[in-house]
Amino acid sequence: MSASSDSELIISIRDVSKTFPGVRALDKVSIDVRKGSVHGIVGENGAGKSTLMKILSGVYQKDSGTIVFDGEQIEGTTPQQSMKRGLAIIYQELNLVSTMSVGENIFLGRFKEMKGMRGSHAKARELLDSIDCKVDTHKLVSQLSVSLKQMVEIAKALSFKSKLIIMDEPSSSLTAEEMAELTKIIRQLREQGISIIYISHKLDEIFEFCDTVTVMRDGHAIDTRPTLEFTRNDMITKMVGRAIENEYPPRPAKVGGTLMEVRSITTRKLKDVSFTLREGEILGFVGLVGAGRTEIVRAVFGADKARGHSVFIGGKRVPIRNPRDAKRAGFGLIPEDRKLQGLILPFSVETNISMASMDNFSRFGFIRRSLEKGIGERQVKALSVKTPSVRVPVGNLSGGNQQKCIVGRWLEIAPKIFIMDEPTKGIDVGAKYEIYLLMKRIAEDGGAIILISSELPEVLNMSNRVLTIFEGRITGEFDPAVTAVDRIMASALGMKEVPA
Amino acid sequence: MVLTLRSNPLVGILTKQKALPFILVMLVGMLFSKTRFYTPYNLLDMLNSSSILLILAFGVTLTIVAGGCDLSIGGILVVSGILSIKLQPVMGMWPAILCAIVFGLLIGFVNGFLVVHQKTEPFIITLGMGLLLTGVAQQLTDAHPLPSQISDFMMISNGTFYGLPNLVIITLVLFLLSAWLMRYTQFGRNLYAIGGDYEVARYSGINVIRTKWLAFVLSGGTAAFAGFLLSSKLNTGSAIYGDLTALVVNCGVVVGGTSFAGGIGGIPQSALGLLAFGMLDNVMNMLDITSYIQILLKGAVIVAIIWLDSFAQKRKREAI
Repeated sequence: MSASSDSELIISIRDVSKTFPGVRALDKVSIDVRKGSVHGIVGENGAGKSTLMKILSGVYQKDSGTIVFDGEQIEGTTPQQSMKRGLAIIYQELNLVSTMSVGENIFLGRFKEMKGMRGSHAKARELLDSIDCKVDTHKLVSQLSVSLKQMVEIAKALSFKSKLIIMDEPSSSLTAEEMAELTKIIRQLREQGISIIYISHKLDEIFEFCDTVTVMRDGHAIDTRPTLEFTRNDMITKMVGRAIENEYPPRPAKVGGTLMEVRSITTRKLKDVSFTLREGEILGFVGLVGAGRTEIVRAVFGADKARGHSVFIGGKRVPIRNPRDAKRAGFGLIPEDRKLQGLILPFSVETNISMASMDNFSRFGFIRRSLEKGIGERQVKALSVKTPSVRVPVGNLSGGNQQKCIVGRWLEIAPKIFIMDEPTKGIDVGAKYEIYLLMKRIAEDGGAIILISSELPEVLNMSNRVLTIFEGRITGEFDPAVTAVDRIMASALGMKEVPA
Repeated sequence: MVLTLRSNPLVGILTKQKALPFILVMLVGMLFSKTRFYTPYNLLDMLNSSSILLILAFGVTLTIVAGGCDLSIGGILVVSGILSIKLQPVMGMWPAILCAIVFGLLIGFVNGFLVVHQKTEPFIITLGMGLLLTGVAQQLTDAHPLPSQISDFMMISNGTFYGLPNLVIITLVLFLLSAWLMRYTQFGRNLYAIGGDYEVARYSGINVIRTKWLAFVLSGGTAAFAGFLLSSKLNTGSAIYGDLTALVVNCGVVVGGTSFAGGIGGIPQSALGLLAFGMLDNVMNMLDITSYIQILLKGAVIVAIIWLDSFAQKRKREAI
């Protein structure tokens, strides 16, 4: 495939296949990664990226094909062996013991080699310094932010003298500055001759620092090329296997009168937040992670206690003390963390969908099976959720389909106001577009949506109006159709002087 | 081969159920023993003596499905049993029984307040509550057995109806009632959701606190109900019965397939779990096994079943 000789390759994957019962997860995948390069792998969920990484690290065993790592053919490896060999993997859900300190985590199970705790902490300090990370090695991991935890993982990888570090969607919960920090470190690692495989959904990052990109789809490595030879549309087309005209549908067109008014929410993090929401509108919240975007909607939804706030719907004051009150008042919520707050993963698709609408199919608290039965099927069909049956555990579905199940749950009670907190987090391009269409449909049916997202383009392209939030206050209101992005960003960063 | 096995619903139940295979093994094994195991009298007696534990298990299952557990039932059992006898001279038999049950509901309410509303650890709180109540029971009776003076009282548990022991009938009715409650009411469904994921249930607009709290209240109530039935059965109230009961019942529920993690299991599973225990007792008695060895074997069976189950789970996970 590439012209480089074998000695320039850190890893060479040849015709690797893997079959799970009923699924061909990988079909003769071949990828070469050059020494000291950052190699991006993009693809929709279910394309086989994670399976491939798990084969490299030794969690799974391949069915056929060869893998040559640093000149040495690898057979039947385990995660521990690959670590020692110099192949480290940083999973999306980080593998750290939250009740132990930074130093202890880095040298977990190796205290003896490090001559006890003192040696471990000293060496940990050295490793963290090498990536400009100032965190105290005695601090507990549970007290660190996600980005600092990632630094600890990187330091841990370095402690094994890793030659190749695989990062599985590291950016999905990072803020813009944290991402910049990570970018810096990735470049620094590359300069030290360490190779990196970088898996991500976010094309911006791929274009920013990856030297080479492999696009995967349906268990195949579709294309591998230097990043410069790819265009954005090119890459998206290859990922989804069809051309997507636009990444976003047009905004909802008909915005009506005021539907909801929120007056002066104050909590520990929020200061006197007031805003209105109109019928048929998508209202975007823009702000850094931690600025208070999520806190606002949590307070409105009754999930957090708030002081002195009042919500008016259709001109009438509605007391909302808990999520149940909110549901009665006509709210629906797609929570920030699909897995923690949105779905009960081992429960069936049907159960997860019917959870909020039990009042509709029961009388005096007794469930009427005849009414309940159709709900799952109906929503699965209406939202075209891809699932073999409504009885499979929702955890078996892909991220996009899981998200649709949550939307379906709320559509059953026909909410007037939909709160969507990161509705497309961890979802691939094709499914994202479907969620966008769904949002548009909800708005055009007379509902209204509050949209929060860390992906700025998403908020700006979907919303009729955006509010910028900085340190718990609303700092500006913009029409994204006519406003320059940097003005909105400046307002979200709390700058007084907004550049023209 | 694997596929055909999986698609067979009966085999599906067998692999999911840990208690059922064990029951089958005992039933088959006893075919070869020269005991009076397979007589209508013995089988009915087995059900009769399991009934108190079964009733306790129905209540406990509600709390475990909701992600909690209830170890105070032993204490509630004895105190309510003593109350239902001690109050008889003061107010008559039926009001005394009613008081005993209300007492159980109240303790359940307090448990629920502490565990659900105040968000404390259910294992420790209910264990402590059970200890406290055992102390109360000893204080009430001065650690002596307390006989009932009303002869009708004894007949509630020891009477028969068309040849069936009352206790068995009551257990069956409670079984159907609680199984239906878990399956066909919003309350039951919400318990599963809460146990499956508390936060998800909360964000779905379920009244999580009230629902889970109610599970504890009902568990206390059924424990008290079982307490008065036990006193009636023995015609005595005593502080010593409840010692191991709470642990055995919670174990039986888990052995039946209701996980401490919450969200899975149910009343039929718990019934099987406790029946397995009841049958084991009966079988060991039939085989003249001494009581020390009986306890030893019972413990070994609990350990073995749970170990085999997680072994099977592991096999299943790794097969995928």
